[in-house]
Amino acid sequence: MMGPGRGYRRMGRAGRGSVWSAGGRWPYLLLALMLLAAVPAMAAGTTDGLSVEERIAPIGRVQVEGGPEVAPSFGEAVRAEPEPPLAAPQPQRKDYPDIGISSRAVVWVVAQMHLFFGALVLAVPLFVLVIELTGVLTRDERYDDMAHEFMKISLVGFSITAIIGGTLALALFMLYPDFMAYMMRVFRVQWLWYALLFFVESFFLYTYYYGWNALRYGNRKWVHLTLGLLLNGAGMTIMVLANSWATFMMAPSGVSETGAVTGTVWEAMKGPLWNPINLHRFIANIGFGGAVVGAYAAFKFLSTRDPKLRAHYDWMGYTSNFIAILAFLPLPFAGYWLMAEIYAYSQQMGITAMGGILAWLFIVQAVLIGTILLAGNFYLWSGMSRTEGSVRYQWLVKYIAAILVICFLTWMTPHTLILSAKEIATLGGSHHRILGPLGIMPAKNIAVNLMLVVTFLSFQIYRRSDKVATVSWAPVGNAFMVAIYIVAMANIVFAGVYYGYFTNTVYKVGSSVLQVASTLVVIVSGLTIDGFMYKGAKKLPSHWGRVSNRSQYALFALPIAFTWLMGLMGYVRSSVKTYWHVYTIMKDNSPDNFIPTIGYAGNMITLVTVLFVLFVLFMFWIANLSGTRQPRPAATGVEGGAT
Amino acid sequence: MTGKAMGKGTLLAAFLLAFVVVVLFFYGLDHLVMGIQGLPLNPDLSPAG
Amino acid sequence: MTGPAGNDGSGSSMGVFASSMLFSLGLTLVFTLVANLLPQVQGDAPVEKKVDLGSLTMDDFVALGENLFMNKGTCTLCHKPPPLGRAPDIQGENLVEVARQRLADPRYKGKATNAEEYIHESMVDPSAYVVAGWGKKGSNDTESPMPHIDKPPIQLSPMEIDAIIAWLEAKDGNEVTVELPTAEASAQVAAAAAPAAGPPAPAATGEEAVRKYGCQACHALLGSTASLGPSLEDVGARLTPEQIRQSIIDPNAVIADGFTPDVMPPDFADRMTVKELEMIVRLLAEKKP
Repeated sequence: MMGPGRGYRRMGRAGRGSVWSAGGRWPYLLLALMLLAAVPAMAAGTTDGLSVEERIAPIGRVQVEGGPEVAPSFGEAVRAEPEPPLAAPQPQRKDYPDIGISSRAVVWVVAQMHLFFGALVLAVPLFVLVIELTGVLTRDERYDDMAHEFMKISLVGFSITAIIGGTLALALFMLYPDFMAYMMRVFRVQWLWYALLFFVESFFLYTYYYGWNALRYGNRKWVHLTLGLLLNGAGMTIMVLANSWATFMMAPSGVSETGAVTGTVWEAMKGPLWNPINLHRFIANIGFGGAVVGAYAAFKFLSTRDPKLRAHYDWMGYTSNFIAILAFLPLPFAGYWLMAEIYAYSQQMGITAMGGILAWLFIVQAVLIGTILLAGNFYLWSGMSRTEGSVRYQWLVKYIAAILVICFLTWMTPHTLILSAKEIATLGGSHHRILGPLGIMPAKNIAVNLMLVVTFLSFQIYRRSDKVATVSWAPVGNAFMVAIYIVAMANIVFAGVYYGYFTNTVYKVGSSVLQVASTLVVIVSGLTIDGFMYKGAKKLPSHWGRVSNRSQYALFALPIAFTWLMGLMGYVRSSVKTYWHVYTIMKDNSPDNFIPTIGYAGNMITLVTVLFVLFVLFMFWIANLSGTRQPRPAATGVEGGAT
Repeated sequence: MTGKAMGKGTLLAAFLLAFVVVVLFFYGLDHLVMGIQGLPLNPDLSPAG
Repeated sequence: MTGPAGNDGSGSSMGVFASSMLFSLGLTLVFTLVANLLPQVQGDAPVEKKVDLGSLTMDDFVALGENLFMNKGTCTLCHKPPPLGRAPDIQGENLVEVARQRLADPRYKGKATNAEEYIHESMVDPSAYVVAGWGKKGSNDTESPMPHIDKPPIQLSPMEIDAIIAWLEAKDGNEVTVELPTAEASAQVAAAAAPAAGPPAPAATGEEAVRKYGCQACHALLGSTASLGPSLEDVGARLTPEQIRQSIIDPNAVIADGFTPDVMPPDFADRMTVKELEMIVRLLAEKKP
């Protein structure tokens, strides 16, 4: 199979079929098999007269040859086939295979697990690269070691992601054949690029991880960093490709009103929601990844009494929490952009998400985000015990806590906006009865923005607690910082109350942008002012490891809440399509074409979260296993060789 | 802190100045952010038009 | 989870493992509990339903229109009373009357010449005329945020749209101008799912019943300042409970000074349950200034 020339093409198709399976080519075979599974539904209309082997052969051939000429030759093969203006299939209920249990539940669990692990293994290399770079720039080897350890504990995650991904693909093809056939038709050659990217990703993953110590210093380190960058590039590309399927289902593009493919693959990908989802998932992944590795550090911290190890894992946990919270702060803004684009695309879809059946879901979301913010803040406050300098800021903590709790309660105040008479009956009352002034959006916007501002304040005083500014203009800088906090919070309240309750709807909606802008001003100016003010500041002694055991539980709360929240947001993202596979184009006629209740969704999400925790435990266990060495039998019976 | 070098009066002045500057900044921000959304405001921040 | 690897002298790995897992699972259960405590609503997909055109009466057709408006058409997502609405409050206004004003408006550039055509046009081409203040942000009321009702995702059939027009005309006592669908026109009409089967749930309180039957649309009541009918904010002082009951059952029996007969629909008594009627009477009897 060593690169046969072009002349072999016909022969390869006709007579060399058996060779494909030879010599460890099974991944290609698998690929061809997966493809084969997808083809039958489209085959009838598009490729009459060609045998299965004939159709598969050129594809397999392309994969084997590799190299740059490959893709074009395959692309031509696809484009050469006539493309009739086929409408999207409209399967009837009998067209959906019945496996005895809910098909949607199966796909739900598997897809969500795939997303969890996908998010984790995309995020970890990203901040590992940043930490590694920090190590290079600061010449502090601790960073390098920690980055390596982060990679180690997530390494098995890549295999788990791939295995679950394969399972998901099989489940989808089996349970939703018509839908998948249509998606294949829309995205065409993109599927193969997607598969190819996994090989690229694996290559960089293994060279990056196993080359860590071989490429540790000098110029070689830069080679290593480049490998990390390419690993992230491949990962990110995989993510945005996969996102395009989800956003196509929500807001299809590149197809006609009946679903006939009219545009290129690129046009199908770049729907109105693609980039908002890309950004939202990108940021959320980082927060999620940080939270999960933080739990690892917390566990290691709690299970040792060795001061050196405790110091190390305390620092690791702190860094993880730092990553998680830092990524979490801009997330609502990305979410706002996404919601705004959804409203712009279809007001009806937006209202279904925010004001219809799903409105109650945002109460649960408030509980989850509240948990995340409270845990993150609590961890920061606990961490202030590491330095003596923190006494200067301790007095602020009780005010921050008070604001957090009040805002949290406001945010949770239920509001209802009614969709139909049936819901009125179900909910047992008309909207006005429950609807208090605290239950509607402006109040919630105030609460969320204030929570973000004070969380940033926690973060800022924590960062300041082990430093004393030495620049001459420090008092002026502080004066500005205090003024910015007070005025920004006043502005957030003013915008919410005045435009939210005393002007019309358009200004009400517009004022939330104003609130978000105020919050961003606080964050950006806080980072900028402190960046300059604490340049060359006097450092107070700080003691890693000197933190309460209780604080570590915040690091467990964080990933649990994050995981659950991701599951919940998956539920709403998928549900806003209501009874459509592809919104406005392909109806979902399966038995599961209704939006499940929030309770059912909650149970599903808990199931997936618990499964995820179990898999993550396995992943950590494997990571520890690699550092464990059984002592020689001749030695004493005592076990040794801890990591 | 180095604030001692500045004296109480100067410190107060610095705080007042900072407040005025920041209030003006946010006032401008309100007009700007609402303006670019096509929602102009009157000088007293009430909706215009 | 750590086994020998976590054995670093503390010997408490298992304890830490147990407590951290218990904590995590506990937290997960809290979230699950919150999700299960909330009202449980399932969003059913509309079910295609056959309608026997042979026996279809105009009343059925109007009722179908109302059902479509409330359910499958998803109109009430946006068209609801201020301040909740994101679109004009169709249920609260006499649309035929409104349409006449719109057609006379110099801003009107559409093709409709009567109320039926106007209503139809605003459903299939919402931007033809945008009510002042309800346009897309930044479009200066030239572009409507409303979806085309005949296109996905709502995609009502022409017959369903006619049904809604029939209801919109009938609900305020106007003459219904649309024609009943003929058998040739279509063999199928899609109607909304489960709620279509039974009558709407009876109201639980007097206030709810008032809203259910839209009393406040014409009368000043429960915060409404409507003046089509006499204000009911002080009706308890003017009328006895018996008189109130009579006025609902037979609106034309006594007409208050300054108001015209035949404005109030005479069929409330038929539509209300006895309990609802009594709750409304009791509520109104207590309305004293």
